[in-house]
Amino acid sequence: MPLPPAEIGRRLQAQFGQDVLSSEEQHGHAVLTVTPEKYVEISRFLRDDPDLGFDYFDFLTSVDYTPKGSGFEIVYHVHSTTNNQDARVKLDLPAEEPHAPSLHDVWAGANWFERETWEMFGIAFDGHPHLVKLELPEQFEGHPLRKDFVLMTREAKPWPGAVEGEEVDDE
Amino acid sequence: MGLMEQVSMPQPVKFLLNWGRKYSLWVMNFGLACCAIEFIAASTSVHDFIRLGVIPFAHGPRQADLLVVAGTLTDKMAPALKRVYDQMPEPKYVISFGSCSNCGGPYWDSYSVTKGVDQIVPVDVYVPGCPPRPEALLHGIIKLQEKIGREDIREKWKVGITGAPAAR
Repeated sequence: MPLPPAEIGRRLQAQFGQDVLSSEEQHGHAVLTVTPEKYVEISRFLRDDPDLGFDYFDFLTSVDYTPKGSGFEIVYHVHSTTNNQDARVKLDLPAEEPHAPSLHDVWAGANWFERETWEMFGIAFDGHPHLVKLELPEQFEGHPLRKDFVLMTREAKPWPGAVEGEEVDDE
Repeated sequence: MGLMEQVSMPQPVKFLLNWGRKYSLWVMNFGLACCAIEFIAASTSVHDFIRLGVIPFAHGPRQADLLVVAGTLTDKMAPALKRVYDQMPEPKYVISFGSCSNCGGPYWDSYSVTKGVDQIVPVDVYVPGCPPRPEALLHGIIKLQEKIGREDIREKWKVGITGAPAAR
């Protein structure tokens, strides 16, 4: 039986206390923000605790908040095939030289997602066994999903529509 | 080759040779995205480009006369396209099928998409659309056949089929 998302947060906070910085519910999933120190330990607990049982690693990615003044945020999503429940874990990273522990030995599925996040955002994963480019060509320079990545085509020809995030009047 | 270079062929012979070539285009589908599905639709019984002499059973690039680049070419895939093109025997033709392969299409500002396959291989016919309907491919094939019909094979052999200097 799936636990209510708030209960997932409560159990983690009971186990890890202040290292679970926040816990909320989004779309019926538990969303947990954690500290870098306990990131791997909390992940292992999510996998091994029988009531949580998050055995399926869905995805890992990052969000670039540097234009808003903060750094990067790692987000990963796990699912429990035994308890039919979902959780997302978030980890805040600084804008300068962001790096996070690797989860490859908690969930093998994290391996390629960390490689992708590394090449797209330039976030290093400490302890990753094979941190080389996955999707980009080998000679590619830069981290294309970072907000400060320069798109050469757009330098030559500005975006013809509304600027991203700009309010558009619906006449 | 020797005789061809020396003798200008009479018009009926030219016509016959071009006629034979334009209705026997063994095609290689370089399918990269949704456009490839439209290409496949054009090859099936409703649209049936075999009635135009386009034969979709080339066993590989070495047996193909026509390369249809259908879909989004990325910079990482570009060397593979060049390699396939280089493996094809002369005379060879390329149709760029769909907006992505024409110019990058909706990915015009992407970091990873090649903006136009004509940067990699010479293109004979561009078929616009996103994706183009199978009829558009048939039209593109007819345009290519008109082009082949006008060709002077002697001139072709001199400069290479695509206007570039003859390779090797």
